[in-house]
Amino acid sequence: MAEMVPYLGHGIGLRPVHFPRLLDGTARADWFEAISENFMIAGGRPLTVLERARAEAPIVLHGVSLSLGSVDPLNERYLDELARLVARVEPAWVSDHLCWGSFGGHYAHDLLPLPYTEEALAHVVGRVRRVQDRLRRRILVENVSSYLAFRHSVMPEWTFLAEVAERADCAILLDVNNVHVSARNHGFSAEAYLDAMPRARVAQIHLAGHSDHGTHLLDTHDGPVVDEVWRLYRRAVERFGRVSTLVEWDDRIPALDVVLAEAERARALEAEVLFGESRVGARSA
Amino acid sequence: MVVDTPPLAAEERLQIYAGMYLWRIVDALRENFPRVAAIVGHDAWAALMRAYLAGHPSEHPSIRHVGRALPAFIAAEPPPGAPPYLADLARLEWTRLDVFDAADAPALTLADLRRTAPEDWPTLRFAPVPAFARLTLTFPVQRVWAAAEQGDAAPLEPSRTALRVWRRDFLVYHAPMDDHEERALACMLAGEPFAAVCEVFSDLDAESAARAAGTLLASWIEDGILGRASPDR
Repeated sequence: MAEMVPYLGHGIGLRPVHFPRLLDGTARADWFEAISENFMIAGGRPLTVLERARAEAPIVLHGVSLSLGSVDPLNERYLDELARLVARVEPAWVSDHLCWGSFGGHYAHDLLPLPYTEEALAHVVGRVRRVQDRLRRRILVENVSSYLAFRHSVMPEWTFLAEVAERADCAILLDVNNVHVSARNHGFSAEAYLDAMPRARVAQIHLAGHSDHGTHLLDTHDGPVVDEVWRLYRRAVERFGRVSTLVEWDDRIPALDVVLAEAERARALEAEVLFGESRVGARSA
Repeated sequence: MVVDTPPLAAEERLQIYAGMYLWRIVDALRENFPRVAAIVGHDAWAALMRAYLAGHPSEHPSIRHVGRALPAFIAAEPPPGAPPYLADLARLEWTRLDVFDAADAPALTLADLRRTAPEDWPTLRFAPVPAFARLTLTFPVQRVWAAAEQGDAAPLEPSRTALRVWRRDFLVYHAPMDDHEERALACMLAGEPFAAVCEVFSDLDAESAARAAGTLLASWIEDGILGRASPDR
Protein backbone atom coordinates (compact mmCIF):
# COMPACT_ATOMS: atom_id res chain seq x y z
CA MET A 1 0.00 0.00 0.00
CA ALA A 2 1.24 3.44 -0.90
CA GLU A 3 1.83 5.63 2.10
CA MET A 4 1.92 8.71 -0.10
CA VAL A 5 -1.73 9.54 0.51
CA PRO A 6 -4.23 8.55 3.19
CA TYR A 7 -6.33 5.43 2.60
CA LEU A 8 -9.88 6.62 1.95
CA GLY A 9 -11.69 3.37 1.15
CA HIS A 10 -14.07 3.06 -1.81
CA GLY A 11 -15.47 6.19 -3.38
CA ILE A 12 -17.52 7.38 -6.33
CA GLY A 13 -17.45 10.29 -8.74
CA LEU A 14 -19.33 13.50 -7.96
CA ARG A 15 -21.82 13.85 -10.85
CA PRO A 16 -24.50 16.52 -11.44
CA VAL A 17 -27.27 13.94 -11.79
CA HIS A 18 -26.65 12.97 -8.15
CA PHE A 19 -26.41 16.54 -6.81
CA PRO A 20 -29.94 16.46 -5.30
CA ARG A 21 -28.94 13.49 -3.09
CA LEU A 22 -25.81 15.35 -2.03
CA LEU A 23 -27.76 18.47 -1.22
CA ASP A 24 -30.36 16.63 0.84
CA GLY A 25 -27.68 14.74 2.70
CA THR A 26 -28.70 11.23 1.65
CA ALA A 27 -25.59 10.48 -0.43
CA ARG A 28 -23.13 8.48 1.65
CA ALA A 29 -19.79 7.38 0.25
CA ASP A 30 -16.33 6.92 1.70
CA TRP A 31 -15.10 9.76 -0.52
CA PHE A 32 -15.87 11.59 -3.72
CA GLU A 33 -13.80 12.40 -6.79
CA ALA A 34 -14.62 15.70 -8.48
CA ILE A 35 -13.58 16.60 -12.02
CA SER A 36 -11.57 19.76 -11.37
CA GLU A 37 -12.64 21.61 -14.54
CA ASN A 38 -16.33 21.25 -13.66
CA PHE A 39 -15.73 23.32 -10.53
CA MET A 40 -13.45 25.98 -11.97
CA ILE A 41 -16.39 28.35 -12.12
CA ALA A 42 -17.28 31.44 -10.16
CA GLY A 43 -20.18 30.10 -8.12
CA GLY A 44 -23.60 28.47 -8.17
CA ARG A 45 -24.88 25.02 -7.39
CA PRO A 46 -21.85 22.92 -8.38
CA LEU A 47 -19.54 24.66 -5.92
CA THR A 48 -22.17 24.53 -3.17
CA VAL A 49 -22.53 20.79 -3.74
CA LEU A 50 -18.76 20.34 -3.72
CA GLU A 51 -18.46 22.14 -0.41
CA ARG A 52 -21.40 20.20 1.05
CA ALA A 53 -19.81 16.91 -0.03
CA ARG A 54 -16.47 18.05 1.38
CA ALA A 55 -18.10 18.75 4.74
CA GLU A 56 -19.27 15.11 4.85
CA ALA A 57 -16.39 13.19 3.26
CA PRO A 58 -12.94 13.57 1.74
CA ILE A 59 -12.77 15.00 -1.77
CA VAL A 60 -10.19 14.29 -4.43
CA LEU A 61 -9.71 16.61 -7.43
CA HIS A 62 -9.26 14.81 -10.76
CA GLY A 63 -8.33 16.97 -13.74
CA VAL A 64 -8.50 16.27 -17.45
CA SER A 65 -6.76 19.32 -18.92
CA LEU A 66 -3.29 19.61 -17.39
CA SER A 67 -2.00 18.18 -20.68
CA LEU A 68 1.19 16.99 -18.99
CA GLY A 69 2.63 15.66 -22.22
CA SER A 70 1.87 18.63 -24.44
CA VAL A 71 4.65 20.72 -25.98
CA ASP A 72 2.56 23.86 -25.35
CA PRO A 73 3.74 25.69 -22.23
CA LEU A 74 1.87 24.71 -19.09
CA ASN A 75 -1.30 26.80 -18.88
CA GLU A 76 -0.46 29.12 -15.97
CA ARG A 77 -3.97 30.52 -15.76
CA TYR A 78 -5.35 26.98 -15.51
CA LEU A 79 -2.80 26.19 -12.79
CA ASP A 80 -3.79 29.34 -10.89
CA GLU A 81 -7.47 28.35 -11.05
CA LEU A 82 -6.63 24.82 -9.98
CA ALA A 83 -4.55 26.14 -7.08
CA ARG A 84 -7.48 28.33 -5.98
CA LEU A 85 -9.83 25.36 -6.12
CA VAL A 86 -7.33 23.28 -4.12
CA ALA A 87 -7.17 26.01 -1.47
CA ARG A 88 -10.96 26.17 -1.36
CA VAL A 89 -11.76 22.46 -0.94
CA GLU A 90 -8.54 21.07 0.52
CA PRO A 91 -8.66 17.81 -1.42
CA ALA A 92 -6.96 14.70 -0.09
CA TRP A 93 -4.96 14.74 -3.35
CA VAL A 94 -4.95 16.05 -6.91
CA SER A 95 -4.60 13.93 -10.04
CA ASP A 96 -4.50 14.21 -13.81
CA HIS A 97 -3.44 12.05 -16.73
CA LEU A 98 -0.34 10.80 -18.51
CA CYS A 99 -1.32 12.25 -21.89
CA TRP A 100 -1.41 15.36 -24.01
CA GLY A 101 -4.55 17.18 -25.06
CA SER A 102 -3.57 20.58 -26.37
CA PHE A 103 -1.47 22.02 -29.18
CA GLY A 104 -1.04 25.56 -30.42
CA GLY A 105 -3.40 26.80 -27.71
CA HIS A 106 -6.22 24.56 -28.93
CA TYR A 107 -7.74 21.83 -26.79
CA ALA A 108 -8.91 18.43 -27.95
CA HIS A 109 -10.75 17.69 -24.70
CA ASP A 110 -9.33 14.21 -24.99
CA LEU A 111 -6.57 12.18 -23.32
CA LEU A 112 -4.18 11.55 -26.20
CA PRO A 113 -1.40 8.98 -25.78
CA LEU A 114 2.29 9.84 -25.84
CA PRO A 115 5.19 8.24 -27.63
CA TYR A 116 7.19 6.39 -25.00
CA THR A 117 10.65 7.79 -25.66
CA GLU A 118 13.43 9.14 -23.46
CA GLU A 119 12.75 12.64 -24.78
CA ALA A 120 9.05 12.43 -23.90
CA LEU A 121 9.92 10.98 -20.51
CA ALA A 122 12.23 13.87 -19.64
CA HIS A 123 9.63 16.33 -20.89
CA VAL A 124 6.80 14.87 -18.80
CA VAL A 125 8.95 14.51 -15.70
CA GLY A 126 9.91 18.18 -15.92
CA ARG A 127 6.30 19.28 -16.24
CA VAL A 128 5.08 17.06 -13.39
CA ARG A 129 7.76 18.57 -11.15
CA ARG A 130 6.71 22.10 -12.08
CA VAL A 131 3.05 21.33 -11.43
CA GLN A 132 3.93 19.81 -8.05
CA ASP A 133 6.01 22.87 -7.18
CA ARG A 134 3.17 25.16 -8.21
CA LEU A 135 0.52 23.24 -6.25
CA ARG A 136 2.95 22.53 -3.40
CA ARG A 137 1.95 18.92 -3.27
CA ARG A 138 2.65 15.62 -4.91
CA ILE A 139 0.13 14.78 -7.66
CA LEU A 140 -1.15 11.47 -8.98
CA VAL A 141 -0.73 10.65 -12.67
CA GLU A 142 -3.21 8.29 -14.30
CA ASN A 143 -2.67 5.87 -17.20
CA VAL A 144 -5.15 6.46 -20.04
CA SER A 145 -6.96 4.13 -22.40
CA SER A 146 -5.48 4.40 -25.86
CA TYR A 147 -6.33 3.35 -29.40
CA LEU A 148 -3.02 3.99 -31.14
CA ALA A 149 0.67 3.57 -30.45
CA PHE A 150 3.69 5.29 -31.95
CA ARG A 151 6.32 3.52 -34.02
CA HIS A 152 9.18 5.36 -32.37
CA SER A 153 8.34 4.33 -28.79
CA VAL A 154 11.34 2.60 -27.24
CA MET A 155 9.74 1.29 -24.06
CA PRO A 156 6.33 -0.06 -23.02
CA GLU A 157 3.79 2.25 -21.44
CA TRP A 158 4.15 0.66 -18.01
CA THR A 159 7.89 1.32 -17.93
CA PHE A 160 7.28 4.92 -19.01
CA LEU A 161 4.67 5.48 -16.28
CA ALA A 162 6.81 3.88 -13.60
CA GLU A 163 9.79 6.02 -14.63
CA VAL A 164 7.70 9.22 -14.59
CA ALA A 165 6.60 8.38 -11.06
CA GLU A 166 10.12 7.64 -9.83
CA ARG A 167 11.89 10.57 -11.50
CA ALA A 168 9.21 13.17 -10.77
CA ASP A 169 8.52 11.71 -7.32
CA CYS A 170 4.80 11.63 -8.02
CA ALA A 171 2.25 8.94 -7.35
CA ILE A 172 0.28 6.73 -9.73
CA LEU A 173 -3.47 6.59 -10.21
CA LEU A 174 -3.75 3.11 -11.67
CA ASP A 175 -6.86 2.82 -13.82
CA VAL A 176 -7.39 -0.91 -14.01
CA ASN A 177 -10.12 -0.57 -16.65
CA ASN A 178 -7.77 1.53 -18.81
CA VAL A 179 -5.07 -1.13 -18.46
CA HIS A 180 -7.55 -3.74 -19.67
CA VAL A 181 -8.80 -1.56 -22.57
CA SER A 182 -5.29 -0.64 -23.73
CA ALA A 183 -4.04 -4.20 -23.34
CA ARG A 184 -6.81 -5.46 -25.62
CA ASN A 185 -6.32 -2.62 -28.13
CA HIS A 186 -2.57 -3.08 -28.40
CA GLY A 187 -2.13 -6.77 -27.66
CA PHE A 188 -0.06 -6.57 -24.49
CA SER A 189 -0.53 -8.30 -21.17
CA ALA A 190 -2.62 -6.41 -18.62
CA GLU A 191 -1.11 -8.57 -15.89
CA ALA A 192 2.40 -7.56 -16.95
CA TYR A 193 1.33 -3.91 -16.72
CA LEU A 194 0.14 -4.34 -13.12
CA ASP A 195 3.19 -6.35 -12.16
CA ALA A 196 5.46 -3.57 -13.42
CA MET A 197 3.89 -0.87 -11.26
CA PRO A 198 6.04 0.20 -8.28
CA ARG A 199 4.09 -0.84 -5.18
CA ALA A 200 4.93 2.23 -3.18
CA ARG A 201 3.75 4.62 -5.91
CA VAL A 202 0.23 3.28 -6.60
CA ALA A 203 -1.91 5.58 -4.46
CA GLN A 204 -5.32 5.23 -6.08
CA ILE A 205 -7.16 2.80 -8.32
CA HIS A 206 -9.93 3.56 -10.81
CA LEU A 207 -12.57 1.03 -11.84
CA ALA A 208 -14.99 1.69 -14.69
CA GLY A 209 -16.97 0.18 -17.52
CA HIS A 210 -16.18 0.30 -21.22
CA SER A 211 -17.80 -0.66 -24.51
CA ASP A 212 -16.73 -3.41 -26.90
CA HIS A 213 -16.74 -2.47 -30.57
CA GLY A 214 -15.38 -5.76 -31.83
CA THR A 215 -12.14 -4.44 -33.28
CA HIS A 216 -11.40 -2.40 -30.19
CA LEU A 217 -12.61 -1.49 -26.73
CA LEU A 218 -13.65 2.10 -26.05
CA ASP A 219 -13.22 3.72 -22.65
CA THR A 220 -16.77 4.99 -22.32
CA HIS A 221 -17.35 4.80 -18.53
CA ASP A 222 -20.97 4.11 -19.31
CA GLY A 223 -21.66 0.84 -17.57
CA PRO A 224 -20.72 -1.52 -14.77
CA VAL A 225 -17.24 -2.97 -14.33
CA VAL A 226 -16.85 -6.13 -16.42
CA ASP A 227 -15.61 -9.49 -15.09
CA GLU A 228 -12.14 -9.25 -16.62
CA VAL A 229 -11.60 -5.90 -14.91
CA TRP A 230 -12.81 -7.31 -11.58
CA ARG A 231 -10.20 -10.06 -12.01
CA LEU A 232 -7.54 -7.43 -12.69
CA TYR A 233 -8.65 -5.52 -9.61
CA ARG A 234 -8.27 -8.69 -7.56
CA ARG A 235 -4.72 -9.01 -8.89
CA ALA A 236 -4.11 -5.34 -8.04
CA VAL A 237 -5.25 -5.82 -4.44
CA GLU A 238 -3.10 -8.94 -4.16
CA ARG A 239 -0.08 -6.97 -5.37
CA PHE A 240 -0.64 -3.53 -3.84
CA GLY A 241 -2.75 -4.28 -0.79
CA ARG A 242 -5.18 -1.70 0.42
CA VAL A 243 -5.42 1.21 -2.08
CA SER A 244 -8.11 3.92 -2.21
CA THR A 245 -10.41 2.85 -5.03
CA LEU A 246 -12.90 4.85 -7.05
CA VAL A 247 -15.72 3.71 -9.31
CA GLU A 248 -16.02 5.98 -12.36
CA TRP A 249 -19.38 6.15 -14.10
CA ASP A 250 -19.60 9.16 -16.40
CA ASP A 251 -22.23 8.39 -19.01
CA ARG A 252 -25.68 6.79 -18.88
CA ILE A 253 -25.28 7.26 -15.17
CA PRO A 254 -27.71 5.18 -13.13
CA ALA A 255 -29.23 6.00 -9.75
CA LEU A 256 -26.73 6.78 -7.02
CA ASP A 257 -27.41 3.52 -5.20
CA VAL A 258 -26.35 1.53 -8.28
CA VAL A 259 -22.99 3.30 -8.43
CA LEU A 260 -22.57 2.91 -4.67
CA ALA A 261 -23.27 -0.82 -5.07
CA GLU A 262 -20.31 -1.07 -7.48
CA ALA A 263 -18.13 0.63 -4.87
CA GLU A 264 -19.43 -1.84 -2.27
CA ARG A 265 -18.57 -4.73 -4.57
CA ALA A 266 -15.02 -3.39 -4.80
CA ARG A 267 -14.87 -3.06 -1.03
CA ALA A 268 -16.06 -6.65 -0.59
CA LEU A 269 -13.50 -7.95 -3.08
CA GLU A 270 -10.70 -6.09 -1.33
CA ALA A 271 -11.82 -7.46 2.04
CA GLU A 272 -12.03 -10.98 0.62
CA VAL A 273 -8.49 -10.77 -0.77
CA LEU A 274 -7.00 -9.22 2.35
CA PHE A 275 -9.04 -11.24 4.84
CA GLY A 276 -8.21 -14.41 2.96
CA GLU A 277 -4.47 -13.66 3.23
CA SER A 278 -4.67 -13.10 6.99
CA ARG A 279 -6.76 -16.26 7.49
CA VAL A 280 -4.13 -18.30 5.68
CA GLY A 281 -1.47 -16.62 7.80
CA ALA A 282 -3.32 -17.48 11.04
CA ARG A 283 -3.70 -21.14 10.06
CA SER A 284 0.01 -21.35 9.10
CA ALA A 285 0.98 -20.00 12.52
CA MET B 1 4.23 7.35 -37.25
CA VAL B 2 1.37 5.24 -35.89
CA VAL B 3 1.62 1.50 -35.54
CA ASP B 4 -0.66 -0.81 -37.54
CA THR B 5 -1.83 -3.37 -35.00
CA PRO B 6 -4.36 -5.88 -36.33
CA PRO B 7 -7.26 -5.77 -36.57
CA LEU B 8 -7.02 -2.00 -37.01
CA ALA B 9 -4.73 -0.12 -39.37
CA ALA B 10 -3.06 3.11 -38.31
CA GLU B 11 -5.53 5.22 -40.26
CA GLU B 12 -8.48 3.54 -38.54
CA ARG B 13 -6.87 4.13 -35.14
CA LEU B 14 -6.46 7.83 -35.89
CA GLN B 15 -10.07 7.94 -37.04
CA ILE B 16 -11.22 6.69 -33.62
CA TYR B 17 -9.81 9.85 -32.06
CA ALA B 18 -11.11 12.12 -34.83
CA GLY B 19 -14.59 10.70 -34.46
CA MET B 20 -14.56 10.98 -30.68
CA TYR B 21 -13.47 14.63 -30.89
CA LEU B 22 -16.46 15.63 -33.00
CA TRP B 23 -19.01 13.63 -31.03
CA ARG B 24 -17.70 14.89 -27.73
CA ILE B 25 -18.32 18.48 -28.87
CA VAL B 26 -21.66 17.53 -30.44
CA ASP B 27 -22.82 16.11 -27.12
CA ALA B 28 -21.35 18.86 -24.95
CA LEU B 29 -22.90 21.66 -26.97
CA ARG B 30 -26.21 19.85 -27.23
CA GLU B 31 -26.25 19.95 -23.43
CA ASN B 32 -25.44 23.67 -23.45
CA PHE B 33 -27.95 24.53 -26.23
CA PRO B 34 -30.72 21.91 -25.87
CA ARG B 35 -33.47 23.95 -27.55
CA VAL B 36 -31.32 25.10 -30.45
CA ALA B 37 -30.13 21.52 -30.97
CA ALA B 38 -33.70 20.18 -30.78
CA ILE B 39 -34.90 22.63 -33.41
CA VAL B 40 -31.91 22.06 -35.73
CA GLY B 41 -32.25 18.26 -35.52
CA HIS B 42 -29.70 15.50 -35.03
CA ASP B 43 -27.93 15.36 -38.41
CA ALA B 44 -27.99 19.10 -38.98
CA TRP B 45 -26.63 19.67 -35.46
CA ALA B 46 -23.58 17.52 -36.21
CA ALA B 47 -23.06 19.43 -39.47
CA LEU B 48 -23.39 22.73 -37.62
CA MET B 49 -20.80 21.58 -35.07
CA ARG B 50 -18.37 20.60 -37.86
CA ALA B 51 -18.74 24.02 -39.45
CA TYR B 52 -18.48 25.83 -36.11
CA LEU B 53 -15.40 23.93 -34.94
CA ALA B 54 -13.59 24.55 -38.24
CA GLY B 55 -13.49 28.23 -37.38
CA HIS B 56 -13.69 28.05 -33.59
CA PRO B 57 -11.46 25.34 -32.17
CA SER B 58 -11.54 25.15 -28.40
CA GLU B 59 -9.09 27.57 -26.77
CA HIS B 60 -9.92 26.90 -23.15
CA PRO B 61 -9.03 23.89 -21.00
CA SER B 62 -12.65 23.51 -19.93
CA ILE B 63 -15.13 22.25 -22.53
CA ARG B 64 -17.66 24.51 -20.84
CA HIS B 65 -16.41 27.43 -22.95
CA VAL B 66 -16.41 25.84 -26.40
CA GLY B 67 -19.84 27.19 -27.29
CA ARG B 68 -19.26 30.83 -26.41
CA ALA B 69 -19.09 31.98 -30.03
CA LEU B 70 -21.91 29.71 -31.27
CA PRO B 71 -24.74 32.30 -31.01
CA ALA B 72 -22.76 34.77 -33.16
CA PHE B 73 -21.86 31.95 -35.57
CA ILE B 74 -25.51 31.00 -35.99
CA ALA B 75 -26.37 34.67 -36.59
CA ALA B 76 -23.68 34.90 -39.28
CA GLU B 77 -24.21 31.44 -40.85
CA PRO B 78 -27.65 30.09 -39.92
CA PRO B 79 -28.23 26.42 -40.70
CA PRO B 80 -30.46 25.80 -43.76
CA GLY B 81 -34.12 26.00 -42.87
CA ALA B 82 -33.47 27.44 -39.41
CA PRO B 83 -36.09 29.80 -37.99
CA PRO B 84 -34.88 33.41 -38.07
CA TYR B 85 -34.88 33.60 -34.26
CA LEU B 86 -32.43 30.71 -33.78
CA ALA B 87 -29.46 32.98 -32.96
CA ASP B 88 -31.50 34.83 -30.33
CA LEU B 89 -32.54 31.51 -28.79
CA ALA B 90 -28.86 30.50 -28.68
CA ARG B 91 -27.97 33.79 -26.98
CA LEU B 92 -30.58 33.16 -24.30
CA GLU B 93 -29.41 29.59 -23.69
CA TRP B 94 -25.77 30.73 -23.39
CA THR B 95 -26.63 33.66 -21.10
CA ARG B 96 -28.54 31.30 -18.81
CA LEU B 97 -25.41 29.14 -18.58
CA ASP B 98 -23.29 32.13 -17.62
CA VAL B 99 -25.78 33.11 -14.94
CA PHE B 100 -25.90 29.51 -13.64
CA ASP B 101 -22.12 29.56 -13.04
CA ALA B 102 -21.83 33.13 -11.80
CA ALA B 103 -20.31 34.01 -8.45
CA ASP B 104 -22.43 33.79 -5.34
CA ALA B 105 -23.27 36.98 -3.47
CA PRO B 106 -25.74 37.88 -0.74
CA ALA B 107 -28.92 39.44 -2.09
CA LEU B 108 -30.59 42.51 -0.67
CA THR B 109 -33.64 41.72 1.45
CA LEU B 110 -36.65 43.76 2.52
CA ALA B 111 -35.31 43.62 6.06
CA ASP B 112 -32.10 45.25 4.82
CA LEU B 113 -34.13 48.06 3.25
CA ARG B 114 -36.24 48.58 6.35
CA ARG B 115 -33.03 49.23 8.28
CA THR B 116 -32.29 52.13 5.90
CA ALA B 117 -33.37 55.53 7.15
CA PRO B 118 -36.14 57.01 4.98
CA GLU B 119 -34.08 60.13 4.25
CA ASP B 120 -31.41 57.89 2.69
CA TRP B 121 -33.74 56.22 0.21
CA PRO B 122 -33.44 58.75 -2.62
CA THR B 123 -29.67 58.46 -2.62
CA LEU B 124 -29.50 54.67 -2.38
CA ARG B 125 -27.47 53.12 -5.15
CA PHE B 126 -28.19 49.52 -5.96
CA ALA B 127 -26.02 47.04 -7.77
CA PRO B 128 -27.04 43.68 -9.22
CA VAL B 129 -25.69 40.41 -7.90
CA PRO B 130 -23.15 38.67 -10.20
CA ALA B 131 -25.75 36.02 -11.18
CA PHE B 132 -27.71 38.49 -13.30
CA ALA B 133 -27.73 39.51 -16.94
CA ARG B 134 -29.87 41.42 -19.38
CA LEU B 135 -30.38 40.71 -23.06
CA THR B 136 -31.73 42.76 -25.91
CA LEU B 137 -33.09 40.52 -28.66
CA THR B 138 -34.73 40.93 -32.05
CA PHE B 139 -37.26 38.20 -31.38
CA PRO B 140 -39.36 37.46 -28.26
CA VAL B 141 -37.91 33.96 -27.95
CA GLN B 142 -39.25 33.56 -24.43
CA ARG B 143 -42.63 32.89 -26.08
CA VAL B 144 -41.33 29.75 -27.80
CA TRP B 145 -39.11 28.60 -24.91
CA ALA B 146 -41.31 25.69 -23.82
CA ALA B 147 -42.13 24.52 -27.36
CA ALA B 148 -38.50 24.78 -28.44
CA GLU B 149 -37.53 22.17 -25.87
CA GLN B 150 -39.48 19.66 -27.97
CA GLY B 151 -37.87 20.90 -31.16
CA ASP B 152 -40.99 22.80 -32.14
CA ALA B 153 -39.94 25.85 -34.19
CA ALA B 154 -43.15 27.86 -33.83
CA PRO B 155 -43.21 30.99 -36.00
CA LEU B 156 -42.37 34.28 -34.34
CA GLU B 157 -42.65 37.81 -35.60
CA PRO B 158 -39.67 40.03 -34.86
CA SER B 159 -40.28 42.40 -31.97
CA ARG B 160 -37.53 44.08 -29.99
CA THR B 161 -37.38 42.32 -26.63
CA ALA B 162 -35.52 43.08 -23.42
CA LEU B 163 -35.05 40.14 -21.05
CA ARG B 164 -33.56 39.89 -17.61
CA VAL B 165 -31.91 36.63 -16.60
CA TRP B 166 -31.19 35.78 -12.98
CA ARG B 167 -30.48 32.96 -10.58
CA ARG B 168 -32.27 32.19 -7.35
CA ASP B 169 -31.81 29.09 -5.20
CA PHE B 170 -29.63 27.51 -7.90
CA LEU B 171 -32.32 27.85 -10.58
CA VAL B 172 -32.07 30.25 -13.54
CA TYR B 173 -35.03 32.33 -14.67
CA HIS B 174 -35.67 34.79 -17.46
CA ALA B 175 -38.49 37.25 -18.01
CA PRO B 176 -39.31 40.05 -20.44
CA MET B 177 -39.08 43.64 -19.22
CA ASP B 178 -41.44 46.43 -20.21
CA ASP B 179 -40.07 49.83 -21.14
CA HIS B 180 -40.18 51.17 -17.57
CA GLU B 181 -38.31 48.24 -16.11
CA GLU B 182 -35.73 48.24 -18.88
CA ARG B 183 -34.96 51.94 -18.37
CA ALA B 184 -35.05 51.63 -14.57
CA LEU B 185 -32.60 48.74 -14.75
CA ALA B 186 -30.30 50.67 -17.08
CA CYS B 187 -30.35 53.55 -14.59
CA MET B 188 -29.54 51.24 -11.71
CA LEU B 189 -26.73 49.53 -13.62
CA ALA B 190 -25.27 52.95 -14.50
CA GLY B 191 -24.91 53.62 -10.78
CA GLU B 192 -27.67 56.21 -10.61
CA PRO B 193 -29.29 56.80 -7.20
CA PHE B 194 -32.81 55.51 -6.51
CA ALA B 195 -34.31 58.95 -7.06
CA ALA B 196 -33.04 58.91 -10.64
CA VAL B 197 -34.35 55.37 -11.14
CA CYS B 198 -37.80 56.59 -10.09
CA GLU B 199 -37.62 59.32 -12.75
CA VAL B 200 -38.26 56.71 -15.45
CA PHE B 201 -41.87 56.64 -14.19
CA SER B 202 -42.31 60.41 -14.67
CA ASP B 203 -44.79 59.75 -17.49
CA LEU B 204 -47.22 58.54 -14.82
CA ASP B 205 -49.08 60.59 -12.21
CA ALA B 206 -47.24 60.90 -8.90
CA GLU B 207 -49.25 58.25 -7.07
CA SER B 208 -48.98 55.71 -9.90
CA ALA B 209 -45.28 56.43 -10.32
CA ALA B 210 -44.58 55.82 -6.63
CA ARG B 211 -46.58 52.60 -6.69
CA ALA B 212 -44.90 51.38 -9.88
CA ALA B 213 -41.42 52.15 -8.59
CA GLY B 214 -42.15 50.41 -5.30
CA THR B 215 -43.63 47.37 -7.02
CA LEU B 216 -40.64 47.10 -9.32
CA LEU B 217 -38.17 47.39 -6.46
CA ALA B 218 -40.10 44.76 -4.51
CA SER B 219 -40.01 42.37 -7.48
CA TRP B 220 -36.26 42.87 -7.90
CA ILE B 221 -35.76 42.14 -4.20
CA GLU B 222 -38.06 39.12 -4.26
CA ASP B 223 -36.17 37.73 -7.28
CA GLY B 224 -32.88 38.28 -5.48
CA ILE B 225 -31.26 40.30 -8.23
CA LEU B 226 -30.05 43.19 -6.08
CA GLY B 227 -26.90 43.03 -4.04
CA ARG B 228 -26.23 45.30 -1.12
CA ALA B 229 -27.35 48.90 -1.42
CA SER B 230 -25.26 51.84 -0.30
CA PRO B 231 -26.38 55.42 0.35
CA ASP B 232 -24.36 58.43 -0.71
CA ARG B 233 -22.49 59.92 2.26
